[in-house]
Amino acid sequence: MVEGYRFKKLKEILFEQDRRAREELQSKLIEIEKGVNTREGMEARVNPILEDKVTFLQQNFPTLFGPAVTQAIKREIKESQDEVVEALYPIIGKMVKKYIVKEMELLSERIDRQLDLAFSWEGWLRRIKGWFGGVSEKDIITQQLMEPTLEEIFVIQQNSGLLIGSYSKNNTIDQDMIAGMLTAIKAFVQDAFSRGGEDLEMIEYETYKLIIRNFKSFYITAVISGPVNMEFKNELDQQILNFAEQVLKQEGQIREDKMKGHLEHWFS
Amino acid sequence: MDITKKVVLIGKFGVGKTSLVQRFVHQKFSDEYLTTIGVKIDKKIVEINGKKLSMLIWDIAGESSHQKIPSSYKLGAQGIFYVFDLTRPSTFGDMSVELNELENILSGVPIKIVGNKKDLISPESFDALRKQLSPNILYCSAKTGENVEKAFYELGTEMLA
Ligand SMILES: Nc1nc2c(ncn2[C@@H]2O[C@H](COP(=O)(O)OP(=O)(O)OP(=O)(O)O)[C@@H](O)[C@H]2O)c(=O)[nH]1
Ligand SMILES: [Mg+2]
Repeated sequence: MVEGYRFKKLKEILFEQDRRAREELQSKLIEIEKGVNTREGMEARVNPILEDKVTFLQQNFPTLFGPAVTQAIKREIKESQDEVVEALYPIIGKMVKKYIVKEMELLSERIDRQLDLAFSWEGWLRRIKGWFGGVSEKDIITQQLMEPTLEEIFVIQQNSGLLIGSYSKNNTIDQDMIAGMLTAIKAFVQDAFSRGGEDLEMIEYETYKLIIRNFKSFYITAVISGPVNMEFKNELDQQILNFAEQVLKQEGQIREDKMKGHLEHWFS
Repeated sequence: MDITKKVVLIGKFGVGKTSLVQRFVHQKFSDEYLTTIGVKIDKKIVEINGKKLSMLIWDIAGESSHQKIPSSYKLGAQGIFYVFDLTRPSTFGDMSVELNELENILSGVPIKIVGNKKDLISPESFDALRKQLSPNILYCSAKTGENVEKAFYELGTEMLA
């Protein structure tokens, strides 16, 4: 009996510490388990570390990844140069134009005044001729001719000269052939006179003026009757640039089947 | 919607490029020689295998000492006629060199080689010539119209393929 009691005591003395340690361990384990197995617990533990990492990445992104990203972009641009240039063309055109328009304002006003004078003088001459010839229609026609009118607009593929789209007020000419001939004339002028980079911008034929605006893979020609003044030309230029920009932005590339609709929308 | 394709005619001056186009598009022929200045563009819509093909034909002037032709006229071509004159060996002597150059700037574009003015040579010299030259040449005459339609339709078919 006494021995049994002693043995029990001894056991208590020997294992009590062990038991406590085990109990502590157990409760710790439960706590850890909670931390790992529940989302909230896990988040509370990991979030601070992640946040640190993210802040670190944010601060050091340029140095860590900058060269690689730049390299990738460079490669992308190099490999799809055409698309990049195509996208930039209208924008650059606009920028350059804005600058030039500003510089030209003074000059253009002077030219406008000159033109007005010249045309009103011619108008009078024509009218006088009309009176003496007794043909009143002539007078009317002459007056109509005094207003610049957009007769046709063509969107033409560079080089091949194939017509991509057109808008016409009266549809009297074979536009495919006109597009081809224009391209041939352009190529000829460029070949004969261009020292590189310049391009044919305007053709005058009797009372018609053909205004040509070049983009990378296509060019746009507007056929105008009547005297073209600076204001009209500026407006037209702006419209052509806007059209090119919008259409390219929407389509990424020129789609022939939609071109007619676009042209009508922009130029009618 | 019609399919539109650009066809170019290339060859030395006077071989009959303009005459071939005149024959094909307008069913006409003239013995008068009016050299082409620069380029003349014509159009003909043909129907091939149920498809409407609008051919925009660029009749490019043959180069001579007093006429240089912008090489860009050929750009964007989707079909090529290389025309020579069966009666003038100088018009086909360097054919392979010229065909090579064309292949360089317009690789993969269908080319038809056409020997023109067949009506002007005797059957004997025609046979002799044919043995010398490449087998895939089409022989025709803008004057009689022989094989002219065939040449254009064959090229058209190749362009649509
Ligand atoms: N007999 C005959 N004469 C032809 C034929 N084809 C063309 N000719 C004549 O050859 C001459 C030149 O013909 P063109 O068609 O003008 O030649 P081209 O190749 O257009 O010449 P360029 O425009 O100068 O490059 C003309 O006098 C034509 O009448 C043909 O098949 N038979
Ligand atoms: Mg000719």
